Amino acid sequence: MQVDPHYLNNLSAYLDQSQATTQQLTSELSSGVRVTSLGQDPVASGENVLMLNQIQQDDSFTNSSNLATGKMQVADSALGSVVTQLTQAITLATSANNGTLNSSDVKAIANQLSGILGEVTTLANTSYQGEYIFAGGKTSTTPFATSNATTPAITTYSGDDDINYLSLPNGQSIQLNVPGDQIFSGSGTNNVFAALNSLIADYSSGTVNTSQAVSDTEALSSSLNYVSQQRVVIDNSITAVSSASDTVTSEQTQLTAAQTSLMQADIPSLSTQLTLSETQQTALEDVIAQLGSSSNSLFSKL
Amino acid sequence: MGTISSAFSMMSGALDADQAALNVVANNVANANTTGYTKEVPNWQENDPIEINGISVGTGASETGATSVRDPVLVERLDQQQQLASASGSRLTALNTVQALFTPDSGSSTSTAGDIGSDITKFFDSFSSLEAEPSNNSLREGVLSTAKALAGDISGAAASLNSQRAALDQETTGVVSQVNALTSALAQLNQQIQSTSPNGDAGTLEDQRQQDLSQLSQLIGINATTTDDNGLAVTTTSGQLLVSNESSYQITSGTSGGVTHYYVGTQDATTDLAQGGGSLGGDLTARDTDIPNAMASLNQLAYNISTQVNSLNNAGTDANGATGAAVTGSTTGAMTLDIFSPPPTYASNLASGTTDVSGAALAMSVVMTDANEVSTAGAGQSTGDSSNATAMAALANSTIVDGQSPSNYYSNFVSTLGSTVSNVQTENTAQNASVTQLQTQNDSLSSVNLNDEASSMTLLERSYQAASQVFTMLNTVMASALNLGDQTAVS
Repeated sequence: MQVDPHYLNNLSAYLDQSQATTQQLTSELSSGVRVTSLGQDPVASGENVLMLNQIQQDDSFTNSSNLATGKMQVADSALGSVVTQLTQAITLATSANNGTLNSSDVKAIANQLSGILGEVTTLANTSYQGEYIFAGGKTSTTPFATSNATTPAITTYSGDDDINYLSLPNGQSIQLNVPGDQIFSGSGTNNVFAALNSLIADYSSGTVNTSQAVSDTEALSSSLNYVSQQRVVIDNSITAVSSASDTVTSEQTQLTAAQTSLMQADIPSLSTQLTLSETQQTALEDVIAQLGSSSNSLFSKL
Repeated sequence: MGTISSAFSMMSGALDADQAALNVVANNVANANTTGYTKEVPNWQENDPIEINGISVGTGASETGATSVRDPVLVERLDQQQQLASASGSRLTALNTVQALFTPDSGSSTSTAGDIGSDITKFFDSFSSLEAEPSNNSLREGVLSTAKALAGDISGAAASLNSQRAALDQETTGVVSQVNALTSALAQLNQQIQSTSPNGDAGTLEDQRQQDLSQLSQLIGINATTTDDNGLAVTTTSGQLLVSNESSYQITSGTSGGVTHYYVGTQDATTDLAQGGGSLGGDLTARDTDIPNAMASLNQLAYNISTQVNSLNNAGTDANGATGAAVTGSTTGAMTLDIFSPPPTYASNLASGTTDVSGAALAMSVVMTDANEVSTAGAGQSTGDSSNATAMAALANSTIVDGQSPSNYYSNFVSTLGSTVSNVQTENTAQNASVTQLQTQNDSLSSVNLNDEASSMTLLERSYQAASQVFTMLNTVMASALNLGDQTAVS
């Protein structure tokens, strides 16, 4: 039988292969990454792009949700104060309406209500990081201003009806703001400023037209309820963002785990392969040393 | 009846023949490590017998030269397999360089810079952050910085692809000049072989011709056919004649479409050569197919992201309350609120309704300098509105690039590129294994095996000794004959 006399060349080619394997395994072990080039695992490489995309989107949503929550909490807190102020205003109005107060007391109540009006206007003009949060989309314009040119005075809204939404990674969206006119200048008896201005007008002369004042007080009370309802919208959004953020964070954790197992090196398995590869290399070197010795040639026996 | 003289003659012939055979062995041993050398074996021939008085008498043997031990079919198989292995080998080298531009992001907390996939995500995410705070300046700046990273990485990758393509082009020129040198050498060898050994194996010249063919097989896909008088015709695998006996036909080159095209005669053989095999085939496939494919994907991605984002940003209202309008006198289709520069073919596409995306990746850049021009608000809305930011963030999951979302498109692109690399890798491994196998078969037949030579040498040495011994004995017999029984007269 004829044999290839260059078998040593073949063996050294195998040795090269074995060394290349060792090198690859060592690089995977040291970097901790299983897929270092696209060709190694094309499917995983493609999958990796999508997973990282999702993870980064989740990460970005978590940041956005923190910003959004901060802003909504300011709105919620402002509306909380508005509710307190309006409750106080109703108490004052109710005491003025019971007919036991003298003229100067009624005027004092009118002054107190004016104070409350100012306070509520300030709250309605609350800004967060330089943006008016109850101005709809016109966040750079002070939304509410009261003109005393008429009696009762008129508070006008200069914002708009714009509502912003935060998109969730699942495609749903959450309402981030309620325009000021919807909260404070609702239609009919849901207008906080109209009710307050009317009451101030009712009491400012010191004499109370009880039926008018009672009707205006009821309007204020009704508008208070309306403000509370609008506050619920904000509260619901805060809850929704927080819950979405939790869901996203947990999804992100799962995705990161999946992405890690997809792309990261399996250290125990790599170590085993490395040992095998090293053993093979040593064996090959021994075989080459053995076969390469000149005593294996027939010429040495002649 | 034979005579003692004829026996002498036979033995001296045997000694000559053994010496000649030993010479062949010595030549084999001397060339044991010569590349391309084919083992030779001595040709023994029984001398014609003579007939004396009706009796046939042998006249010994002679050595009539050496024959190279080769199997033309095996050698041709080896050459052809070598062409395939060289093609996939050089294509793999090129693809490995291409795929290095798109190394998978490991996904560690600090993402690798230069990963287009994560650039795309970060860019669209920068609009998501604006949904909650459309007026936040640092978030607006974030849009511009992520846009710059995206445009920079895409155009950087495109530039690298172009320079790789140019390098491959350069390489093919070098390969073709080697091919031309080899075909000239083959034509000369043909001439020598045809004049010296028109009817048989030409030995060393044949070895040289075979070695040239093997080298040629590493460079280019060829078919070799033996012609009259032991000549050789070499054609490319698609049939263009390169060598015919003592004539060779040079492959010429010319530039077309920014790359070098190769001609055999007047015919443009570039496509044929790309499919033919050899390292030229691999290089041309990478140059004309693989890299343009990768470039086309990047162009598509860059074109669609640039135009869609620009279009939405121009449609919205920026922080200054402005809406996009056409830039007066612009020939590129530029508008005032463009974030990215309009792709080079944008204006002509608009005019003619075509969808040519060429050059979009290389030209991708950010033209917006003022972050206030990012249109977060919808058309006609106040600046606090973020509906346009929402719409732009939604582009991340919209099917804006060839029916897919940008991330999906990029994901498919890397998978496809990875699959190509992986396939070529597998193909190359298999072909190399096959080459090794054929090489082993050929070596076992045609290479010098020193052990075989040692045993041949021992055999010939013994044969030489035997002939000498017979010669000595004949001498004794001759002496006896001359002395006619008297032992002392002639010794």
